[in-house]
Order: sequence, then C-alpha cells, then structure tokens
Amino acid sequence: MNSPAVNAPAPSTTTTGDPHWYKDAVIYQLHIKAFFDSNGDGLGDFKGLTSKLDYVKDLGVNTLWLLPFYPSPLRDDGYDVADYHNVHPQYGTRADFRNFVREAHRRDLRVITELVVNHTSDAHPWFQAARRAPPGSSKRDFYVWSDSDDRYQGTRIIFTDTEKSNWTWDPVAKAYFWHRFFSHQPDLNFDNPKVLKAVVRSMRFWLDMGVDGFRLDAIPYLVEREGTNNENLPETHAVIREIRALLDAKHSGKVLLAEANQWPEDVREYFGNGDECHMAYHFPLMPRIYMAIAQEERYPIVEIMQQTPAIPEACQWAIFLRNHDELTLEMVTHKERDYMYRMYAADKRARINLGIRRRLAPLMENDVDRIKLMNSLLLSMPGSPIVYYGDEIGMGDNIFLGDRDGVRTPMQWSPDRNAGFSKADPQSLYLPAIQDPVYGYQAVNVEAQSRDPGSLLNWMRRMLAVRNTTRAFGRGTLEFLRAGNRKVLAYLRAFEGEAILCVANLGRSAQPVELDLKQFRGRIPVEMVGRTAFPPVGELPYLLTLPAHGFYWFRLALGSEVDVPRWHEEVLAREDLPVMVLFDGWTSFFRDRVVPWRIALAEKTRLQLETEVLPGHFQPQRWYAGKDATVTRAAIAAHAIWTDAKSKHSWMLGLYDVHGAPGTAPERYFVPLALAWEHGDEERMKALGPAAVAKVRQQANVGVLADALADEPFCRRLLAAVRDGVDLPAAGGRFEFRPTQALAGLLDKVDIDTLPVARAPAQGTNTAVTLGSRLFLKAYRRVQIGANPEPEIGRFLTEVAKFPNCVPLAGTLEFVPAHGAPSALALLQAYVPNQGDGWTHLVGRLERFLTDCLRGEAPPEGGHGASAELVRTLGRRTAELHAALALRSGDPAFDPEPVTDADRAAWRKRVHDEAIESFAMLERHRSQLAGPAHEEARVLLARSSDVLARIAAAGAGGGAALRTRIHGDYHLGQVLLARNDFLIIDFEGEPGRTLAQRRAKQCPLRDVAGMLRSFSYGRGSALQQAVQRPEDAARLEPLAADWEREMRAAFLEAYAEAVAPAPVYTAFADARGLLELFELEKALYELRYELRNRPGWVRIPLTGVLALTHHANDGD
Amino acid sequence: MENVSVLLEPVRVFLAHLGDFLPRLALAALVVVGGWLLARLARVAVDKLLRAINFNVLTERSGMDAFLARGGLRIDTTAVVALLGYWLVVLAALVIALNGLGLTTITELLGQVVLFVPKLAVAIVIVAFGAYFARVVSGTVVTYCRTVGMQDAEMLGRIAQYAILVFVALIALDQVEVGGEIVRQSFLILFAGLVFALALAFGLGGREHAADLLDRWLPRKPDGGGDAGPKA
Repeated sequence: MNSPAVNAPAPSTTTTGDPHWYKDAVIYQLHIKAFFDSNGDGLGDFKGLTSKLDYVKDLGVNTLWLLPFYPSPLRDDGYDVADYHNVHPQYGTRADFRNFVREAHRRDLRVITELVVNHTSDAHPWFQAARRAPPGSSKRDFYVWSDSDDRYQGTRIIFTDTEKSNWTWDPVAKAYFWHRFFSHQPDLNFDNPKVLKAVVRSMRFWLDMGVDGFRLDAIPYLVEREGTNNENLPETHAVIREIRALLDAKHSGKVLLAEANQWPEDVREYFGNGDECHMAYHFPLMPRIYMAIAQEERYPIVEIMQQTPAIPEACQWAIFLRNHDELTLEMVTHKERDYMYRMYAADKRARINLGIRRRLAPLMENDVDRIKLMNSLLLSMPGSPIVYYGDEIGMGDNIFLGDRDGVRTPMQWSPDRNAGFSKADPQSLYLPAIQDPVYGYQAVNVEAQSRDPGSLLNWMRRMLAVRNTTRAFGRGTLEFLRAGNRKVLAYLRAFEGEAILCVANLGRSAQPVELDLKQFRGRIPVEMVGRTAFPPVGELPYLLTLPAHGFYWFRLALGSEVDVPRWHEEVLAREDLPVMVLFDGWTSFFRDRVVPWRIALAEKTRLQLETEVLPGHFQPQRWYAGKDATVTRAAIAAHAIWTDAKSKHSWMLGLYDVHGAPGTAPERYFVPLALAWEHGDEERMKALGPAAVAKVRQQANVGVLADALADEPFCRRLLAAVRDGVDLPAAGGRFEFRPTQALAGLLDKVDIDTLPVARAPAQGTNTAVTLGSRLFLKAYRRVQIGANPEPEIGRFLTEVAKFPNCVPLAGTLEFVPAHGAPSALALLQAYVPNQGDGWTHLVGRLERFLTDCLRGEAPPEGGHGASAELVRTLGRRTAELHAALALRSGDPAFDPEPVTDADRAAWRKRVHDEAIESFAMLERHRSQLAGPAHEEARVLLARSSDVLARIAAAGAGGGAALRTRIHGDYHLGQVLLARNDFLIIDFEGEPGRTLAQRRAKQCPLRDVAGMLRSFSYGRGSALQQAVQRPEDAARLEPLAADWEREMRAAFLEAYAEAVAPAPVYTAFADARGLLELFELEKALYELRYELRNRPGWVRIPLTGVLALTHHANDGD
Repeated sequence: MENVSVLLEPVRVFLAHLGDFLPRLALAALVVVGGWLLARLARVAVDKLLRAINFNVLTERSGMDAFLARGGLRIDTTAVVALLGYWLVVLAALVIALNGLGLTTITELLGQVVLFVPKLAVAIVIVAFGAYFARVVSGTVVTYCRTVGMQDAEMLGRIAQYAILVFVALIALDQVEVGGEIVRQSFLILFAGLVFALALAFGLGGREHAADLLDRWLPRKPDGGGDAGPKA
C-alpha cells in the first residue's frame, strides 16, 4: 500500500457557532482610514474595507478589530468620540457599516469594534451639556469636576510628553475637569448611574448592527477615589461586571476585550471569575519578546510567562507584537527600558511617552528571519494573536510624522500611486504613504508579495494556515522545556491529547539544542509547516539544530498516526538489555553439546534465550509481523554454528519459531546471531551495540549477543560463502549458499575482506545491507516454506530472459530442511545507484506543483511534461517486463498458458464476490466516515447494482491472450529511478498472499491496474500534503485530477505501444474491459484495507471505484 | 544276540550320554543366543545412556576421541564403552553356557576375563574425566599465566596437563591391575628424580640469592675475634 510519511489529514479550526470562538481567534487590527480608499478622498472608508475583505480572509485571520470610526474631532485618532451612535462621515455611513459587517460574516470573519467609555471628546454633546449644567445636576455629573486641581494627587500622568496635569480648567464650567489622557478628553463619571445606562445603550446599538465584540479602551481608569492611584479600583471592576452581566443577558457569544496596560496579576482581575472581560491584552509579554531576541536569551519570556497567573476557563489572553500605539515600555523595569531604548530606539525621534513608535519590520532592521521568528512566537504563545495591518508584508514607518502617525500610514497595496491605497492626489492623503527606498511602497506592497512565493505575506498565510490546523495554540497549556542552550526557547503546547513542541533560536547564529522529551518517548515529531516526520523521540535527549533565528513547530504525533521516516534507523543500544551468563560460548544453549554436569545450566540458558532474550528483541522490530501479540517464546527450530577459521569469529545461523498470541500457529523467523567479546574484540563489540540482543558474560569476559546482519565480518563471510557455493550442515537440515552467473562479474577484482558494509534503509519485513557499491544483501526475516518468487523471478529475468531493467540476482541463501521444501532466507543482488523510488519522485513533484499553485504561481508551461515523459518510460519498461515474463523457456514454472473462458469467468466471479464483501463493509463503516467521504459512500452504495452489472459484463471483449508470471505487487514504490530510466524491483508479490498464490500465473493486466491505482494514490497523497486549509482543496483537486489523467494516459499509451510485438495480448485495446475489471478489483481491495486500517484515506479508493463506474474507459 | 547286545552297549551308552548331553548343549546354545541378543541390547542401551548424559561430549572435549581416531579406530570412546558392555554380556552368557556344559577350566578362564571388562570400562571413564580435567586445568593455567604476564604460559599449561595425565594413567592402570608394583615403583622413582632435579636446579642456580636471603634473615654477628681490644 502506498503511503507518504505523514498521513494524518489536516484538521481545521472553525469558529462558527462556538461561544468560545475568541479562544481560537486570530485578530487583524486595522484602521478604516488607512486600509483602502474607495472614493478617492484620500481617506480609507468602509466601502474600501469591504472590497478588501477577501484579502483579509485569504490571509488566514478570522477576526477584525477596527479602530474607532465614530464621529470625532480626530484629535486622538478617533479615541475622542463625539457621537457613540454614528459613523464618521469620512468613513461612510451606518448603511456602509452594516454592509461591511454582513460581508465579513459571510466570509466567517468576526468584527470587534472600540468601546471608548473612559472618556469622550470635549466636543461630545454630553460634555457640552455638562459644562453648562449647574454643578450638582445629573447632566453636570456625567464628568468629574473639581474646584481645585489638587484632588487625586497619587495619580500618575500617562501622556507625559504632552500633559502636565490630569486636571484642566474649563472656563465655561468654571471648574477643573478630570482627564487621564489628553486635556480634550474629559473622563466620564461612572459614579453617575446615568453614564453607565448611556454606555450600555450605545453598546446595544452596535451589537444590533452585528458587531461581535468590543475592545474596552483604557478600562482601568473608569472610577476615581481619593487616596488611591485611581487604577484598577474595585469600583471599576464593579462597573465592568455590570456591563458583562447586561451583555450576557441578551447577547451571548459576544466578547469584551480589556485594554489594561498593567502587570499580569493586575490584569488577571479584569477576568474576574469569568464574569468580567472575556479577553485582556498581555502587555508585559510583548516587550519581553523583543528583549529576548535582543539579548539572545530566553529568560525574559520564560520569566514573564511564569509570573502570569492562571485565568478562568472561558477567558483568553490577547497577544500582539505591534499595534497602533507606541511599543509601550510601561511594563518593564527602568533598566530594561534603557536597554530597550538602546537596542530598538537609538534614534531619539523614535521614542514617545514611555515607548517606541515604530513598526515591527524597522524594529527588526528589516531582517526577515527575525521578523518571522517574532511572528512565530506571537502565533505560538498562549493567547489569541493580533496582527497589526501592514505587518504581514513588513511595512515600514515614518518617524518624521507627529505623535504615533508614523505607524498609521496607508496600507501598501501596489507600487501604483499612493501605494494603490487611493486614487486621490498624493497631497490630499490623510498621511503620506511610506516612500523610503527600503520600506517604500514600491518595494513593499501586497501585489508584489502575493506573486512572490517566498514573500513575507505568503509566509504569513502559510503560518496562519498551519496555526489553524490545531486548537492547541489557542487553548493549550504551556510548559517550558529547560534546554541547556539558553539561546533556545523551547515550549510545549498541549490540548486534548495533542502536543505541540515549539523550538525557537533567539540567537543570531545557528544553535544546537538537546531537549528532554522523555515524556513523549515513541512519539514522532512532525514539522507542521512541511509536515515532515522527524525521527521518533527516544531515550536520549532529542537533538535539534536551528539556523540563525530559526524556529520549528512540531506536532508530537503518536506512532499510530504517522510513519517513522523510512530512512530512520534506531541506532541506540538498548539500555535495559538482559544479561546472559554463558559458560561455553554458543554451546551454552545446547544441552547435548555440554559436559554432563552442565546439562541443567544449558537448559536454563536456552530457556532464558527463548523466552526472555529473543522475545524482547523480536517485539519492537519493524520486521516482526505480529505487532499486536506479545511474543511468548522464540524457539530455535534449526541452527548451525558457523565459524570462520581465519578470524575465529563465529555466528549462529538460526531459524526461530515465534509464538505469539495463544491459539495462533507459530511463525518462523530468520535471525543470525553474532557474539563479540570485549576482551580481544572490543571494536566489533561496540559496533554491534545498536543491534545487541543481550549482554553476555563468560567468566571475567563480557560481550554482546547481537543481530549478525549488523556484523560486518558476517556479511562479508556470507558473501564469500555465496561465491563459493557453500553447504553448511545444520541441526534439522542445511544452509545452502548459491551464486548465480552474475556474481562472478560483480566480484571481479573485488577484495571481499575490505568491502565496506553498510546497513541500507529498512524495508518493512526485510533487512538490507549494502556491500560496497557492488552488492545489496536482502535478508527476509519472515521465513516461508516453499519457493520464493523473488529469487525465482530474479533468476529467470537475469539468466533466462536477460531483462535489463531489473536488478540482477547475484546469489541466494536457502535453508533446506531434512524433509520438506526449502525456504529462501536471503538474497544477494547487484547494487544499482538510484534516485529513489518512483513514488517519492513523481508524487513529490506533484506535491511541489500543487504547493506552487497554492502560492499563486502560474502552473509551469507544458504542465507535467517531465513527469509524463518519465511515466511513458515506465509504461515501456512495464511492457518489456511482461514480454520477458511471457518467454517460453521450457520451465513449467514460467511457461505462459493461454487465457480461457473459464479463467475470465473465474476472475469475474472473484471480483463480484469481493465487491459484495466490500459493499457490506462500506455499509457497516459508513456512519464513521466524515465529510465528502460519507456522501461518496452513499452514492457508491446506491450504485452498487451498476457496479455488479459492469463486473458481469467485463472482459467480454477478450484481448488477454496469455497468463504468465507477473510482478504481483506493482506500484510506484516498486520501481527505482536511475538515470531517467526505471528499474523494477521487489518481485516478492503481495505479502498478504501465500507463496503458491503469488507464484500462480496471472493476467499481466493486474500489474497495469496496480500501477494505475498507484497514480490515484499519488494524487490523493499529494493533495493531502499540499492542502492546508479546507478551501484549498476545491482549488487543487481538479489540478491533481488532471495530473492523474495525464499520467494514466501516458502510461497506457506507452505500454500499449511497447507490448504490441509480444504475444501477451491479442490486442491491448480489446483488453481494456479486463483492465477495468482488475482496476476495480484493486480499488475494492484498497477500500477494504482503508476501511479496516486508515479511515482517513478511504476517499482515495472510494473516488477510484466511483470513477471506474462512471466511465467505461475513463481518461484513456 | 548277546554278542550283539555287548556290541551295542557302548552305542547305547553313547546314545544315552548323547541324549543326556544334547539338551544341555541346546540349553547352552540358547543361553549364548539369548546372551548375544541381550548384549546387543546392552550395547545400544549403554551407548544411549552415555550419550544422554553427554559422556560423548566429555570424551570429545578431553581429546580421547581424537586420540582414538588417530589410532585408526572408527568409533568414539562412548561406542568403545558400549562395546565393552556388549562383550561383558556376551562373555557372561558364554560363562553360563560353558558352565552348564561343565567346561570348568574354560569357565574359570572366561570368568577372569568377565571380571576384567568392567574394570576396563571404569578405567576408561576415569581416563575420560581425568583427561578432561587435565585440559581444563591446562586452560586455566594458560589463561592465568597470560593475565599475570608470565612467559611460557603455554608450556606451563602443558606441563600441568601432562602431570595430571600421568597421575590419571597410573590410577587407570591401578584400576585394571596392570603392571601393579612395578608401575608404582617406577613412578615413585621418576617423581623423586624430578623433585630432586628441581631441588638441585634451584639450589645451585639460586645459591647466591639464597645466601643473600639467609644474610638478611639471620645477619651474621660481627666477628668479635681478631681486632678486638687486647685481652685483659
């Protein structure tokens, strides 16, 4: 069965209908005036924003936060509201707003607006009325008045650069009014119950318009009390609780976000017991992320997160890197502030109040790696991240503009006039667009970055898509890992059994790190962006190397979800190896080979070997088939002690009957063992460490008992024995080493004793070793009695048919029992340098193609020309293989036989029976299928009678002339790509079938059908890898289907052409009906397999069967 | 007629003797045949028994089998012992049969042979164990000497092995009562000679060393004679 390294389908978080949607929110913060100008007046507006909603949606965020858009004198960028119930005319009308909200909701985007209730503009009618109203009246009491400016002395001044006092004299009222911010922003008086009522009325107004939440601006300053610092007062919390109670009463699923620039323990109060705000900013985290990168030291982040108190279950932090205000440094110590100024605002103009008025990119000196690292931290820390508009493309700022306007310049859409933001005259813009050579809109804009697959914008899209695949980032717990290297920040995010490991290198140079992941032993880290599986977590610290400012997000997947990388080999010596005491080398295991008084000891040692040592070794092996059953005993069924006279090394060639679950028959395995002693053979002993089965001791000498296939001298000795055609007598039979004619040529001028031996990547049930660049030794672990098709076909193709596109067979090792049929144990083949198998190559290519398409790159000219050319070659080679196998040589095991009507009837009957079985199974499992698979299953079941009718009619056209030996398990993984040509390997046949079934003569169309199904799997697998968001699927599916169609056509065309001279078919075109039958058979088999083992993959065979029932000869 | 009867009398007596002897002969033959069958059984039984307790491994490891093979014997020691069992039973049957026939002299002679066979078997067992022991000791001596860095480890090992083998051979000979006194005497002479030779070798070779040692242990008193002060 084909499968890529990672086979878990990408889940996706969606916030629709979830009252806790804000926990999974990714918020995009923007200013209406800065986003897009639809009417050419130099100011952004709601119509413009609405037209750009697709861009926002495409970015991957799910919530919009709008800065104030209410009528206002705009002396504090709209935070001086003059009318709570309207839209500033320059941004549009209330109808425009309503339309915008509707369009946003249509795209699953939520909208959060500002609720500025601490203060109003002094132009607000309430203030105008209050200053004229008599002192003591309700209207006057909407604001805080005093006759003197010495009340509330303990209160700090926030805008130190512009304000001298929190009191300002109003000549009309003839009194001082209280303001925590600018003197044109008088604070509302929440001691007056009418104020709260008025505020709630305006909240309701916007909620009725469809708004999903409010950002509560300057919330700690609502209430004033003498003798306090007038921040975070209990009375303030009481007001918030009232607001929340009123919100919950009528508007569930709406959210309150507190802006409280306070220390975490103070901010914690704003969550109350889940009865105040849903969300609050985590202000102190942000400067510490900057600090950590500047200092190349993880301490600031770890420290602040450890000081962060737990918050109620339904609450969430909001985290950010930059926003419309200055990068505030209120929440750092004086020393830290000095450091931050030195590092990030050496230019004094960049400083304002207690902060730095710059955007993210200039703060990072436009270093893309650092910008990405910062964003990766933002997206993976606990909380809902907020992305400030423009930061996704790395926009710059203009520190020559006043106040904080430098970070509020127009969004840069394109290199056109005014950055594509507005058609107005440049002079009439509310602020000039950035024009410097580095950050100017000609260099940094959405249009350019959309086209560049490697741009920051596309990177952000990918990262947000990845973040949306899991809820662990938004809702998971946080645990820091104490890595030795302090420049590396490593933390775990865990949620509902899912664990995500984030590792970030804060340093400016590459850094290694060793992580203690013992608690996740056996899990396989899957890098989330590329979905690449890493080697599994083992006993030792997990070693990672990170490039400068690099980072990784790993999903720690269970072994059952993801396959270990194929090239990975466990090279750790097992620490808990059992210890065996040997008194006489190998003979210690055999009671009839020891002196009389050692008999009892030998029996005990044998028992230990068979019931403790070998079971412990077999169980975890990849080649051990009975994964689920515990091995109870591995009994020696046949053995020979094999000694090399020259080196004095000796090995035990053994066959073991492995007993698994009670009631099942034992299975036989071939495991040659080696003994190496510390005394006299220390190097060999160390080399065998990773393959050790047990530690052994004989008197004062210690050593290891190990798998001999890891022993270089053994592999060389085996090769020499094959060359010499040795017969090794054994208890219970004999081991036969036999060369083929090819071996002599392969060993020409080769000194076996110096041939380098290397373990080749494991291949499922076999173990492979390369000997120099000459030979490839493949040991079958599982022993099956009877002729094995692989050496048999290998010998036929090499020696009789002289088929050049297979790997030449060089020799075999068989066990010939005293009575009964021999079994193949190992195979020696020529080593052929190659570029990997066809699957990796072709599917990898398709995957890259699909990813490129997603990034907006135009598909390359000529589509899949190169792949199709390769597949044509593959078709030709397949035809040549079938022609070779159809040669008449006089060998009854190979001579082809004619296809009879009885054969065809038998084929039809078999497929018919299997179809009925498959439909029954599909019916049983249908309820467990999710998404489109459920619907497809329904369609197929409804059409089952059509399928059966089609089966009954199949093959009527004849076409197939001969039954021959075939490959039997033919798919893209069974062909090696070498110099743009293919080598066909692995003639073992389908592992699930008996040897007799595999050796039977069959219709070669089976192989053709297998390859066609493999294309279908390739398409499905590449799609799963490439699709990161559900909406990508609709875009990519037709492209992948085109690929499959093209590959099928190329393969069949080349096959038909090349197979024509051979007598395999009367006419290949006539055989299409049978081909369809075999394709259906294969697809039905896959369907049953996936239903049983991998329900996430059911769609691939399901669509395959459906397609086959749609068209008689689809796409050919 | 009487003459005839006189003439026939010896014949009658002969026939009477014959009539008396023939059943005994038949019985003897039966005993021999039965014994032969039993012997074959005994041979197999002994062989199986010895192999079941890995006696064959012992003789193989002790080098006896190889020794026998060098001597041209095609069977191993275990088979030899089994063969002895076979002959023991065969001979015992012959003794009984011949005794039944009243051939006492031959019976006595055979009886001595019968008594010798078990002794031989026991002697073989002694040699087998002794030779194995000698090999083990030799191996141990060699390993030990090598670890402590002594030269000639191999030679010392061989000396130990042969010394033990000589003892074992003597015990075996004693067991089968071959040679008797003369073997014992010659061994004593040999052994005494060896010890004497060693003593001489050490004594002569280490004379000075011994003198030094003696000096150290028993320092000579200063010679008070000669130059001592004038006698009063």
